[in-house]
Order: sequence, then C-alpha cells, then structure tokens
Amino acid sequence: MSVDGATATATSTDSPEKLKAAIASLSSMVPSLGSTTPSSLLTSPEIYPQISSLLRKPNSGAGDSNLCRWLYDTFQSGVPELQLLVLRFLPVIAGVYLCRVADRKPQAGFEAVLLALYAHETASRAAQPVTVTIPDLANPSIYHDASSSKAPQTKDADAAVTAVVSPALEPHGTVRSTRRARIVGVALELFFARIRHMPVASKVEFCRFCKTWAGQDGDMYRKLEEEEEEEGGEKVVAQEKKVEGRVPLPWELLQPVLRILGHCLLGPHNRDVELFEAASDACRSLFARSMHDVNPKAILPIRSLMRLSKDVLHRNPLDPTELPFSDVISL
Amino acid sequence: MESSEQGSVSVREFHANGTHMSASEVEAKLDQGNVQDAEDALREGLSLNFEEARALLGKLEYQRGNVEGALRVFDGIDLQAAIQRLQPAFSEKQPVKKGRNRTESHSVSQHAASLVLEAIYLKVKSLQKLGKFTEAANECKRILDAVEKIFYLGIPDIQVDNKLQEIVSHAVELLPELWEEAGCYDEAISAYRRALLSQWNLDNDCCARIEKSFVVFLLYSGVEASPPSLAVQIDGSYVPKNNLEEAILLLMILLKKFCLGKMKWDPSVMEHLTFALSICNQTCALAKQFEELMPGVYPRIDCWNSLALCLSGAGQNDNALNLLRKSLHKHERPNDFTSLLLAARICSEDPQLAHEGVNHAQRAISNAHGSKEHLKGVALRMLGLCLGKQATVASSDYERSHLQSEALKSLEEAIKLEPNNFDLIFELAVQYAEQRNLRAALRSARHFFNETGGSVLKAWILLVLILSAQQRYSEAEVVTDAALDQTARWEQGPLLRLKAKLKISQSQPMDAIETYRYLLALVQAQKKSFGSLQISSKVEDNKVNEFDIWHGLTNLYAHLSRWKDAEICLQKARELKKYSAALMHTEGVLFEGLGQNREALCATINAVLLEPNYVPCKILMSALIQKMGSDSEYLTVARSSLSDALRIEPTNRRAWYCMGLLHKLDGRINDAADCFQAASMLEESDSIESFSFIS
Repeated sequence: MSVDGATATATSTDSPEKLKAAIASLSSMVPSLGSTTPSSLLTSPEIYPQISSLLRKPNSGAGDSNLCRWLYDTFQSGVPELQLLVLRFLPVIAGVYLCRVADRKPQAGFEAVLLALYAHETASRAAQPVTVTIPDLANPSIYHDASSSKAPQTKDADAAVTAVVSPALEPHGTVRSTRRARIVGVALELFFARIRHMPVASKVEFCRFCKTWAGQDGDMYRKLEEEEEEEGGEKVVAQEKKVEGRVPLPWELLQPVLRILGHCLLGPHNRDVELFEAASDACRSLFARSMHDVNPKAILPIRSLMRLSKDVLHRNPLDPTELPFSDVISL
Repeated sequence: MESSEQGSVSVREFHANGTHMSASEVEAKLDQGNVQDAEDALREGLSLNFEEARALLGKLEYQRGNVEGALRVFDGIDLQAAIQRLQPAFSEKQPVKKGRNRTESHSVSQHAASLVLEAIYLKVKSLQKLGKFTEAANECKRILDAVEKIFYLGIPDIQVDNKLQEIVSHAVELLPELWEEAGCYDEAISAYRRALLSQWNLDNDCCARIEKSFVVFLLYSGVEASPPSLAVQIDGSYVPKNNLEEAILLLMILLKKFCLGKMKWDPSVMEHLTFALSICNQTCALAKQFEELMPGVYPRIDCWNSLALCLSGAGQNDNALNLLRKSLHKHERPNDFTSLLLAARICSEDPQLAHEGVNHAQRAISNAHGSKEHLKGVALRMLGLCLGKQATVASSDYERSHLQSEALKSLEEAIKLEPNNFDLIFELAVQYAEQRNLRAALRSARHFFNETGGSVLKAWILLVLILSAQQRYSEAEVVTDAALDQTARWEQGPLLRLKAKLKISQSQPMDAIETYRYLLALVQAQKKSFGSLQISSKVEDNKVNEFDIWHGLTNLYAHLSRWKDAEICLQKARELKKYSAALMHTEGVLFEGLGQNREALCATINAVLLEPNYVPCKILMSALIQKMGSDSEYLTVARSSLSDALRIEPTNRRAWYCMGLLHKLDGRINDAADCFQAASMLEESDSIESFSFIS
C-alpha cells in the first residue's frame, strides 16, 4: 500500500486553493465554521463532532446530500490532507450506512463517498492482491540463520505459503449489494493504512459502531479467562433487548475491522482511556457475535485480542531500561 | 565494583578510587543549588577529575529522582568531546590480538567509555522522564553511534566489561521506544531494525523484549514499514516485505527461541501470532505452530481446542472434529461450551455425522446456564441443523418426518431466543423449503433477504428456488436477473446455472443453451485471468464447476433428442470427472434415447455401484427393466428399485410417476391413481434444483 496512491496527487501549488474552496463550501453547511482557516480545518477538534452529527441525521446519506457531495468532492480533490480529513468520517459513514441497509433507504450519497475511497485503493493497488508469504524458519532470514536447525534445507521458495490478505480489486461503478461488504471493507483497509493520522474521536466512533454491527452484548466476557472455572458464579441475566443495527460480518469486512481494533487496543495510543474502553467493549461484542456465529476464523483473533488487551491493563510497571538503583554510587 | 558491606543502608555513599565518602554533605550542597561546590567536594574527597565528579553527581541526582538537577549536571560535561576522545583509543587496539597488556589498557579505556556512556544514558532517561522524547532519542542515538564507531567490528563477547555492555543493551532497547513515544515512527522502525540486525551482543531476554516490542509496533501501530534496506539483505535469506511478514517472522523466531530454551515462555507471543496469522487467513499455518509447541506449554485440552479452531477455520473439519472428540471425552472436558458448539456445527454439515452432532448440541443446551445462557439459542440452532441433516438420511418415512419436525421445533425455539439472528432466519427458511412449506419458506427467505440487504448471494438463490418450486418461473427469472445485476462477474456462476434451468423449465431450451454457452465463456475467462493467487475465497466458493455445465448441457441436448450434441458434451464432462454417478445416469438416458436399452442398463448399474443411493439412476433402472419384459419377475425388480428410490427421496416426483405407470401396467388402477396424484402434487412444489444446493 503506497501512501498517496495513483489518484491525482495534487501539486503543491493548487492545494491551498483547493483547501480554501473546500472550506468555503463546507461553511455553507456548518454555520459555526465561520472563522476557520485552512490549517485549523485539518486540526480543529470542534469540527469533527459537528460533521459527525450531521452525518447521523435521518436522510444524511441520500443522493442529494450536500455534505456527502462535499466529502466526495473533497476526497476527489487529490490533496492528501483533504483526503485524510474525509477519511476521518469513514467510521460514521460506514457505520450509519451499513445499519441503514435493512431499512432500504436510498443512500446514494454515502455510496458515492465509499466508492471514491474504493476507487482510490483500486487505483493504488493496480490490480495486485495484498499478499503475505509465511516464512519457513528452515531457511535463513535477515533475523536468523538456519544453521541451528537440521541440515540446511533446499531452497524451495516455490513451496512457501503465500497468503492473500486482501484479494485483487476490480473496479466498481456502483455498489452492487453482494459487493457492499467488500467495498466498505476496502475503505476500512484504507482507513487502517492511514490510521496514524486519524483523531481519537474518529476511532472511538468506529469502536462504537463495531458494537452496533455485532448486535450482541459482550458483557459476559468481561472476565475472559475465568470463564472456564467460574460456574454459577455471577449470573449474567440474558437480557435479549431488541438490538438494531446487526449486520452481516463476512470476513472481507471483519478482517479490516479487527486490524483497526487491534490498533485501538494495542497501538501506540492505547493509553487513551476512552478509546481503550470503547475498543475493548467492541471486542467483547464481536467475540460474543463470533460465538453466536460459531465462526472459528473470528473466534481465534478476537480471543487473542481480548487476552492481549488484558495484559495492557496489568502492564508490568518494571522498566527494563532502568539502571539499577543502589545506595552506593560508584564510577 | 566494590560490594557494599553495610547491606542495606539508607544513607547514600560515593565509592571511587578505593575510598568512599558519605553523600549527605554533597546532597546538602546540591539542595542549595551549588553544583560547583558539590563537584569540588567530590573531587577533593575522592580525588576525581572533573568529568568523573560530574558523572557521579548526575547519577546521584538521578537516583534522588531529581531529573532536572541531573540534566543540569550532565549539561556541564561536554559529552561529545568525551566521546571523540574515546574513539582512537579503541579503534587502534581493536584488530590486535589479545594480550595481557592490551586487555589491561582495554579495560582502562572501557572504563572511561562506560563512564561517559553512562552519563549520556542517564541524561537520556532524565529527558525521557521529562517527556522530551525527541531530544532523548537523539541523545540515545549518539550512544549507539559512538559504540558502533568504537567497536566497528561488533562488540566482542569476552572483552567488554559488564557495565559497558549493560548500558549498550539498555540504550539499544530504549531507542526505538523513545522514537515511538516521540511519534517518529520511521525512526522507530529503523531503530528496531538496527537493534536486531547489528551485533550488540545482547542477552537473550533483552533481544526477545526488543523483538516483541517491534512485533507489537508492526502489527498494531498502523504504520507501514518500508522493507529493510538492501544493505542488510544477505543473499538467499528471507527478507520480509511488509509489516505482517516481518511480525510473523519475528514471532516464529521467538517461539523457536523458546523451544530451544533460550527464552522463558511468554503467552503473549502465541496470542500475537494467532492474531497475525488469522488476519492472513492462515489458521492452517497457525495450527502447525500449535503442533510444534512443546507439550506442557498449554494444558493439552486447551491445545486441542485451539488446534480444532485453527483446523476448522482452515476448512479441515474432519481433523478438527477428531480433536474435539478427544477434548470432549468424558475424562477430559466434556462440557466445554465452545467445543460443543463447534463440534455440533461441524457435524451439522455432514448427514453421516449429524447424529453425533445432535448429542453435542443437546449437551450444550443442558449446559447453557450462567454466563453461557446467552448461547442457548445457538445450541438450539445447532440441534435443529443437525436434526435436519439427520432427516436426509433417515431410514424410514416415519423417522424422517419425526426428525424434520423436531428440527423445525428446535429452530423455532432458537429464533425466540435470538430474534435478530438472520442466519437463523435463513436456516429456518431452508428447513421450511425442504419440508415443502413454501409459504413459510418464502416469508423467512424474504425476511433474511431484507435484513441483509441482498448482500448474501445464497439469499438470492434461495428465493429463486422457492419461487421456482411455486412454479412462479417468470418471477424467479426476474429475481435471477436482479441477482446477476447485483453480483460481480466472477461470482455469477451459480446464478447463471439457475437461469439455464429456469429456461428449461419454461420450455425455452434455446435460451438455456445460450446461457450455458455464456457460462462456458465465463469459465474460460476465469481460468485465463486468474493466477491461483488472486482468487478470493468468495470467488472460489462461487466458482462454476465446469463439469456441471457440460453435464447440464448433456442433459439438455438429450432432452431435445439432439443425440450427437449430447454425446459431445458428455465426452467433455467425462474428461473432467471420470467416475460420476450423475454422468453415468445421463449416459444411460442417452443410450435409452438411442434405443440401446442393454447399454443403458449397464450404465445405470455402474452408477448405482458407484453411488448406491443415487435416486435418478434407480428410477431409470426401473424403467429400463420394465421395458425388457412385462413378466411379473421384471415388474417386481422394477418396483423394488422404485420403492428404494422413494425411500431415499420421498419427494421425488418422477419416482412417483414411474411407480404409477408400473401399477397401471400391473393392473392396480387405484394404486396407480394414488401415485399419479402424488406426482402431480409434488410437481406443484418442485424446485428447479434441490434445496440442498444452497449449502
């Protein structure tokens, strides 16, 4: 995944123009924007909740939505900063969009934005799948030499397992219903690739939508490991509330979701309490969902995330890079 | 270093040059802000030079937790100059063979080096504690640069004093963390690689910690690392080309180190690996890692269960089930909920295992209390699925209808607990359809379709099948066309096949042939444009079976009595699959059409030998036998073949029809009428393809 894919990287000369234009058209939709300057548009913490709440309004995703048009145009401008700005709203767009599919409301506006993101990825991947070669330790690598194992094996590079992380993309001009999950999934893959530039608020929102998509309460998994022994301990009363927003979670959607959640739980910013809590909550809900689906492919990674995030809470306070303290100070 | 004789003392002391002095006096001076005085006192008391005294002072301040003070003290030393002074002292001596004198002088300079480097390191730690990460990282990098210059051949094992090595190891480990905290991710990546790829003579624990931190960074930071530079690439060795590869490689190396006893067990390594390999769809490779773990790392039941999840995730359900059977044994963990559900799920896919699955599901239901109560619906659902599957191989009519109604009951009970589970709604729809309750089936199928917004291909297919069973062919075709419109080209195969069959049902054979032609073209295109790599599992699932197409075409041409064409298609199909009961049946039909009844009979017999329960063959066989003579012997054999067919598939319209003919021939008009009636009723609910086509 190369940064700034093939879709028109704007030249530095016209990007200030485009920034200005983007603000001008946005301020007609968000009145309080008033005094925003180009640079603050990209960083201002106030804008996020405003646009996010606009995106949640009942008819927000319609084909004639000005905001969707703005998001689409802004992304198509090709200015990397502006593309990042649009990407911040992907969690709300994808979240609201998928939840509304069952209502059969027209959502051409959202679909246009999602397709733009998808097209961007399609172009930058140039019909190549994202693959991973599973290493074979019998052959030496940059990090180890194989001498410690038995006889040096014949180099059978052909026998190496190649795993497809994300299959090659075909261009799509419309959202065909059977490709919906894939299109949203690829947009989320793009979000993950730029996640270091995404604000915490956007990630928190993503986690909340994961919970909604799972459609399952995960509170019973707060104590994961004790689960085996604890029998008849605290009874979690099954409260089957009517949950709205449960969506199909095929692997092509679940996989990027899990990668993003992994980042929220174990990435460099996992000390943000709100984000960590939201991500843990999402994880538990998705775990409950994977159990309800009896889906081993989902159970395995989510269970690992839950176990690993538990370690984060009980992080060892000992700093291995600290020099020993002693009362005798010598040279 | 001298060991302190006093054991634990609450008063700090300075030791140097064989003498010692209490720190309290110096501390007092520092507290008053007189760094210079404190320094003088130290130099006098312990006969130290300026740098040594400063270093000790800095250390004192650092240990007292006064990091600002420590920084002030260290700022007084020109560390850069000190480093430069060190370099020639080492580099000249490096290549020389070890000799007593040399080592002597070595250790002296090493002592000086460790003094300077420790001072810088403490400065780094102080900066870190003050949150000045970038500055700290830059200082820390200076340590490593200096060490690399001094020991430009790598740090030798024996010649380095402990203290110097300790500081070097700490600095190597700390640097990437500092860059990470500073938000300089690219620098962090190169620092990690520098730590792991250069010779720092790190101990195993330290190295493992760095590897682990790097893995966490690679997997979760969301920063895509560029591949390692060419400089480190040794010919023929594996170079990871993206984050996931690099992380997986390091994790595997960590596991291996553990196996070789170089590292103590760290469960998080396996969890990271589980996450990484699952994300790559490689639970199969993960299973291998679990298998290679030494016994005793995990309790064996946990290990079996994890393995079962891996194998089942990789589609190796047979092996997964074998492991689950072990772990669910009464002496192991017979009530493990996840295992019970998984076992039941696996069994629900195979009629021969369905009975076993029923047991697992029932055990799950009886254990669904406490924290598992929310899974009761799932257990009921699995029970329903297993029962439904079991019904397909029931030996008697009575048993079948009993199992079917039990299956329905379970599913309906499950849906009360999980009204939002649309997968369950789908399964209910299939169950209704199989029991020919088409209205209910259509209702559920529509419900599922709406809930999932048409995103699931099998929902479209089920709708088409139900509509076709209701003889609403034109509606079914509308749905098929809409589905084709909503499906990417490579996944259209199953829909096109249905379309061809719909055309046949509507007596439009030429359109059907056209559709089959299109399908063949699609298969060819698919073969050409895909290397094995690029096919997603979804496409793989929906790939049209070329054999099915040729077989379908053969049947179609046979139906049209275009024997020559049929023959050609049959040949094509045979090339793809040598032993197929279905194909042999078609062959029989062809022979029969050509009037070669004896050959036709041979074909059907062969087919039945291959697949004893293949119903169409039994029907054809009966018809053929009947043709050979109207003696009662012949008729009896023909009838027994038909009753056999009806036992296996009581909803087979053609079997009832043939039975009617047979009765009529035998003069039992009433019986014949009953059979014809059954056949005609079934015709009203016959779908173009069996409902089991969906799963």
